[in-house]
Amino acid sequence: MLWWNGLRAIDTALAVMFLSLAAGPTVAGDIAFVTNQNSSDVSILDLETGVERQRVAVPGKPAAIAVHPASGVFYTVGPDTKTVSKFDQASGEVLDDLVLDGGPLGIAVAPDGSMIFVSDWYNARIWGVNTDGMEVVRTLETGSAPAGLVVAEDGSWLASADRDADQVSVFDLATFKLRHSVPVGVRPFGISVGPDGFVYTTDVGSNSVTKVDPVLGEVTGTAEVGERPYGIAFAGGKGFVTNQYSDTVSVINLDAMTEQVTIDVGEYPEGIDVTGDGGTVIVANWFSNTVSLIDAGGLDVIGEIATGDGPRAFGKFVAPDVGG
Amino acid sequence: MKFVRLAAVLIGMVVPLAAMAHGPTRQKITLTAEVAAPPEEVWSAIGDFQDMGWHPAVYSTEGEGGNEIDATRVLTLGEEGGPTISEILYKYSDEKMSYSYRITDVLVEVLPVTNYSSHLTVIPVDGGGSVVEWRGAFYRGYPNNDPPPELNDEAAIAAVSAVYQAGLDALVERFAGN
Repeated sequence: MLWWNGLRAIDTALAVMFLSLAAGPTVAGDIAFVTNQNSSDVSILDLETGVERQRVAVPGKPAAIAVHPASGVFYTVGPDTKTVSKFDQASGEVLDDLVLDGGPLGIAVAPDGSMIFVSDWYNARIWGVNTDGMEVVRTLETGSAPAGLVVAEDGSWLASADRDADQVSVFDLATFKLRHSVPVGVRPFGISVGPDGFVYTTDVGSNSVTKVDPVLGEVTGTAEVGERPYGIAFAGGKGFVTNQYSDTVSVINLDAMTEQVTIDVGEYPEGIDVTGDGGTVIVANWFSNTVSLIDAGGLDVIGEIATGDGPRAFGKFVAPDVGG
Repeated sequence: MKFVRLAAVLIGMVVPLAAMAHGPTRQKITLTAEVAAPPEEVWSAIGDFQDMGWHPAVYSTEGEGGNEIDATRVLTLGEEGGPTISEILYKYSDEKMSYSYRITDVLVEVLPVTNYSSHLTVIPVDGGGSVVEWRGAFYRGYPNNDPPPELNDEAAIAAVSAVYQAGLDALVERFAGN
């Protein structure tokens, strides 16, 4: 007999959702744009007051997000409808969109805001899209199952975490040529650039973080973290890594590449980003339907804000408040 | 027989992929049931990772490692020689009356999911009774685009929900009249 055969199916809409409210966090003037995959929307959270300012519907069950504060927009990727959407940060209104094929997953914005890059999970490539007109103008070949993307602060390179190839691809953004394919830990998913200019991947399959020199194309360190690391962000010279299965954030020393401490957060922590002043780390808890606010100095949780259903916030999702 | 034919087709294709790729959207469900017994009594019925006999679909449980982290078990479903599900324990707390486990190996025809993890918890309620909460997080069984209907997101949710509901119903019945 099959596991579920003949058993009564139930309405999952009745699934119980626990929402806990903010415990008075104090974070100056930043907004979090949190993609809620299961409810297919974005929670726009005022991190200063701990209040959800707006809930914006997004097509296609979004996970990935990229804010671009200088142009006052944010982008989401909805894999179910293969839609990249562009929103106004202040109003939450849709400005433009683009429907792709394949399996759009991760997203990053060029520092000058002129282009976005979207990874194609199923077809080992990255689309380069002009943000003015939302047109695909480039296609870059990666290793198998590219997930997270990051662009250098000076816009000189783009790097992808190629999950099923266990590697990072680094592209020169002047020529759009592949510069390096660098083997990292097992199944890298998240990727971000540290304060030291190195690229860091979260390796889902080996519970590690790998540090890569994007210029030389070499691995320069590996740190052990918790179970199923998902994302990494940086504050106070330290790395903060969400561990999906451990319900923790690992704080790592970037020089020694060692785990200093772990912080308990909500269930299934995923997307992680930092406020502009570097003082607060924001963590999306996918199962708990909350974000946790971590004091980057004290390394403890100082607040929690309710979100929609299934917050993932995969990418850069915190931006200065521009009103709204 | 459908199961055998499908297994033959899928075994080479899906099993190696299952640990690697997955569909685009992770699903989650939470089911709860009130059980008319003290939490300690309910926990002693369901809190042994090595005995899932309380679930009506489970014929036998064989495993290693007791209730220690990384303990494993293989559930045989329905009857001797029935389909199996292999699982590993990754959190266990007698105090919180909760354990968490993942599936390490299952055919998608048996349970159409990949990257499955689950939590089972007994929560005390006022007046001496219990609530059993069963939560799951998983991707659909088909790792690529355009899944067939039996391996899509809805099929995954329906299957896991039905498993949980059957288990919870059995507990409610077992302790009814307490």
